[in-house]
Amino acid sequence: MAAAGSLTSSSIPATPRNVLALRLAVAVFVLCVWEGLSRSGLFYGEVVPSLLAIFVSMGKLLIDPIFWRNLQVTMVETVASLAIGAGFGITVGIVLGANRFLMRAFEPVVYYLSPTPRIILFPVMIMWFGVGPGSKIALGALSAFFAIALSTAAGMRQIDPILIRVGRSFRANIWQMAFKIYLPAMRVPILNGIRLGMGTAIITVLLGETKLSNQGLGYMIMQIYTRFDMPGLYALLILVFVIAGGVNALIGHFACD
Amino acid sequence: MSISEKTSLAQEPALVVDDVVKRFGRGTEIVTAVDHVSFTVRQGEFVSVIGPSGCGKSTLFNIIGGLLSDYEGAVKIGEERISAPHPAVGMVFQEESTFPWRTVIDNVAFPLELQGVAKSERMDRAHHFIDMVGLASFEKAFPSQLSGGMKQRVSIARILVSQPKILLMDEPFAALDEQTRLLLGDKITQIQQELNQTTLLITHNLTEAVQLSDRIVVMTYRPGQVKRIVDINLPRPRTSDVVGSDAFGHYVAEIWNDLREEASRGMADSESAASRRATHG
Amino acid sequence: MAEAFLRRHTPELFGLATLLVCVLGFEALIRGGVVNRYIIPPPSDILLAFERVIVEENILARCRDTAFEMLVAGGASVLVGVPIGVLLYRSALWRRAMEDWIGALAAAPIVLAFPLFLVLFGRSPKTIIVMGFVHGLAPIILKTVEGLASTRPVLINVGRSLKMTQSQMFWKILLPSAMPIIFTGIRLSWTFVLITIVGIEYLINLGGVGQLINELAERYDLPGTYAGICFVILVSVLFFLALERVESWLQPGR
Repeated sequence: MAAAGSLTSSSIPATPRNVLALRLAVAVFVLCVWEGLSRSGLFYGEVVPSLLAIFVSMGKLLIDPIFWRNLQVTMVETVASLAIGAGFGITVGIVLGANRFLMRAFEPVVYYLSPTPRIILFPVMIMWFGVGPGSKIALGALSAFFAIALSTAAGMRQIDPILIRVGRSFRANIWQMAFKIYLPAMRVPILNGIRLGMGTAIITVLLGETKLSNQGLGYMIMQIYTRFDMPGLYALLILVFVIAGGVNALIGHFACD
Repeated sequence: MSISEKTSLAQEPALVVDDVVKRFGRGTEIVTAVDHVSFTVRQGEFVSVIGPSGCGKSTLFNIIGGLLSDYEGAVKIGEERISAPHPAVGMVFQEESTFPWRTVIDNVAFPLELQGVAKSERMDRAHHFIDMVGLASFEKAFPSQLSGGMKQRVSIARILVSQPKILLMDEPFAALDEQTRLLLGDKITQIQQELNQTTLLITHNLTEAVQLSDRIVVMTYRPGQVKRIVDINLPRPRTSDVVGSDAFGHYVAEIWNDLREEASRGMADSESAASRRATHG
Repeated sequence: MAEAFLRRHTPELFGLATLLVCVLGFEALIRGGVVNRYIIPPPSDILLAFERVIVEENILARCRDTAFEMLVAGGASVLVGVPIGVLLYRSALWRRAMEDWIGALAAAPIVLAFPLFLVLFGRSPKTIIVMGFVHGLAPIILKTVEGLASTRPVLINVGRSLKMTQSQMFWKILLPSAMPIIFTGIRLSWTFVLITIVGIEYLINLGGVGQLINELAERYDLPGTYAGICFVILVSVLFFLALERVESWLQPGR
């Protein structure tokens, strides 16, 4: 039924080669427009720096030990917050997923609190855990918690009941049920929750660092901003995006296969 | 309408399928889905096309409906060769095709809305056909509140309201259970007789075809050819009671005889394809 | 009647009761000196601070400022995002090429680029609005494409069998069929817009409720800070609930 039921029309077919060509064309176009704007002098100062300047700044950053130290601080904070958030999140998710009563009692609380702007809790976190890494880790953990808990609870409920009946029919005990049936069946939703949680944890940790801290990539962003080093700012932001995107893709890769 | 008038009308074919061929793929991968198929449907006649899965029924449906324009041979209404959806052909699809965002009456009134019919008139006309398919008390309901059989009746009312010369149905009851299917068959027979509606039904269900049809076109498994055309001389008006009659049983047995061979070829084919996949994949 | 209600909503009531017990427990712990009241003020103080935050700090006017920024940013996301989605849907090539990139854009921590936007647009509501807009755009584009593409082929065939024109097809079949998914995109988008705008207000100390919380915290007005935070969370939850309501109202019979 090739002809029936499709409305998309295109003169050029979407073959992988054409897609690649279009992507390259778009990328080249954007870079050219950027370079053109940078040379036109329409913007004051270095608001739109030349590509070469950004490239050079990126190279300087990559050989700068300060960058690597700050990256390490942010990484440690993020991993710590993810570990705490995932620990609580998976536990709460399993409890909410397993018990209908508790789900109806508490899932709305988790669900409706999850899309609120959590960064405003930062002042509270500073009061509780101080101005050091503690407050960033706490805020990151809180952010990660919601995504992981909701995803785990949903994953638990979506397990095909037939798998649980199979387990029961083989008289599996509670631990066998947990490790042979529930966990394998929930691997993908849990990993997806961790991926989402990781994303928000990175952002929250970095935002916390931009607001109040003396180390980490977020702090470094603010330092470069105060120096008005535009090529450096672009370079650092691109590096942060690449790192965050890379980690995201890595976990996504584990979730898929 | 006198008998002589009726027979003279009956001589005039409403739809001519003339030597239609449709191939898919290219190079060595060509599959002939429909192979030199010819038959006619007379005015007011109910014709079924029956065959096993893979006999090109759905392809034929798409060609007659004008959804597949690239084919050899001709499907003609009067002198006109069909190559795009034709206003005289009203289609009922196998899949559930009601609009979930419209109530039953708004679904049925949809073709009239496209024609720009005034609101009060289109409500009246929609109401008439909803009544005919027996859903009068569900006019304000949304499709999600209806059963599968009711949704198909909405689709049928929606096409009847546009008063097509030829009603073209592709296994409209495939997703329904047997009892519902028999009862809906009654409804279809009754409506078809009431409107003297020329109808072409594509199906793989033997009892359904015999229950409803004046003639049955039996197709072969790939490539889809006409194996035989059977006249069904069961009395009209007809109800589902006919299913219990001896004559009905004879027709079913006779056509099954033809179909069995085709269906087993189809089964053998899909089994060998599956074993190829299993050994290679 | 009341008994039936109680029985039907036992879990929800249990949840609320638990929250209440927690609040009362904190009150007791703080008043008993177990928890330092200069870290967590007693809930009763926070409750009292609500009045102060509303009357003296004028939080409602702050909400209005934030709401205005959201309206502009969220409206612009819809006005720009839906047409882009429609265009992407119409060309399989562009869709294949761009969908992943837009997805990556949605996942990228763009909010971190706020210093950049500060340089580009100055320390003004413009920066906040543009950042909100940028964050709201991707979900709407993606969900518009997804909604249009998920129109069931049989409905398109119904349209073709009725010889509908391209524009009839779009307005009467594709768009209504895609509407629920597009609105899911709008809900996601506006949630991002809200989070971004309040967050940026707090971070750059400018504009509506976000700035107020920053000020209260910098003044070390503990009950006020907590009350302000509770207020903002409450308003966000209400906003989110309202969006969900509209979403289900937009999908009659689904």
